[in-house]
Amino acid sequence: MAVSIDPIHQFELQPLVTLGHIGKQQLAFTQSALYMFAAVGIIALLTIVATAGRSVVPGRLQSLAETLYEFIADTVHQATGADGKRFLPLVFSLFMFVLILNLLGMIPYAFAVTSHLIVTFGLALVVILTVVIYGVAKHGTHFLGVFVPSGVPKPLLLIMVPIEIVSFLSRPISLSVRLFANILAGHIALKIFAFFVVQLLVAGAWGVLSPLPLALTIALTALEFLVAALQAYVFATLTAVYLADALHPGH
Amino acid sequence: MRLSTEFIAGVIAGGILGYIVDHLFGSKPWGMIVMVMLGFVTGIYNVMRVSGFSGRKTEKDPRQES
Repeated sequence: MAVSIDPIHQFELQPLVTLGHIGKQQLAFTQSALYMFAAVGIIALLTIVATAGRSVVPGRLQSLAETLYEFIADTVHQATGADGKRFLPLVFSLFMFVLILNLLGMIPYAFAVTSHLIVTFGLALVVILTVVIYGVAKHGTHFLGVFVPSGVPKPLLLIMVPIEIVSFLSRPISLSVRLFANILAGHIALKIFAFFVVQLLVAGAWGVLSPLPLALTIALTALEFLVAALQAYVFATLTAVYLADALHPGH
Repeated sequence: MRLSTEFIAGVIAGGILGYIVDHLFGSKPWGMIVMVMLGFVTGIYNVMRVSGFSGRKTEKDPRQES
């Protein structure tokens, strides 16, 4: 076992340009930020450039952009109803950002930005703050109806309201942890199984077994592509569901 | 994965809330104890809601697993 590996190493942040220091904390432009800018660039390319032609019979890129748009528009419409349309830009941006970052992370040697909890938590906070601020601005104190489930007998409300409050507070946590955990776990599993191939090959006669983890790695790669797209979709769906609360509190 | 995060998030939210309550009112262990228990209840409630066990359909998600 001369070779050793650290499956966590791929998630390390590498500063590209150091901008300065606040106290002892280094402020740097990391590869994570670079990937985020790249994702924004790709999204802009896909949506602005691809639809610039506005041809009636869309080309490849244009039809891809249109399909994605229609898909998210449908999801938002189903979750929030007709007046949820104003949140479509937010949900679409979040969906594309997460999707492109997830897919960028699947490129070998690339860095998966969404495997960092702080990034996903930041995105989840955007969603929850939008819900709270919009809900309070639109409905005022009536927004507190979110915490009162309908069709529950009066005495039970004493227990249900605190549960609903904690449930509401747990939303940004579950939203961010789900995305982060899926991506992190997937990348670590891929790395470990891929390393089994190498380990078996250097272990002499055991090398006969090496195609097994290789097949598993290939299967896992396919699964990870599924997870990458699915998690972006789940993030968008749940965002729309939470925004529905801001539009219609106390259903 | 979906259900477990839902449960864990409830407990974590309860824990954070309990810590804040203790910090504000100096009621050292009690806020944490009560809030984490409430967090457990919330976690179970979240899981029931997401898995469609309870009657409420607000957070029905087309995808349940993974």
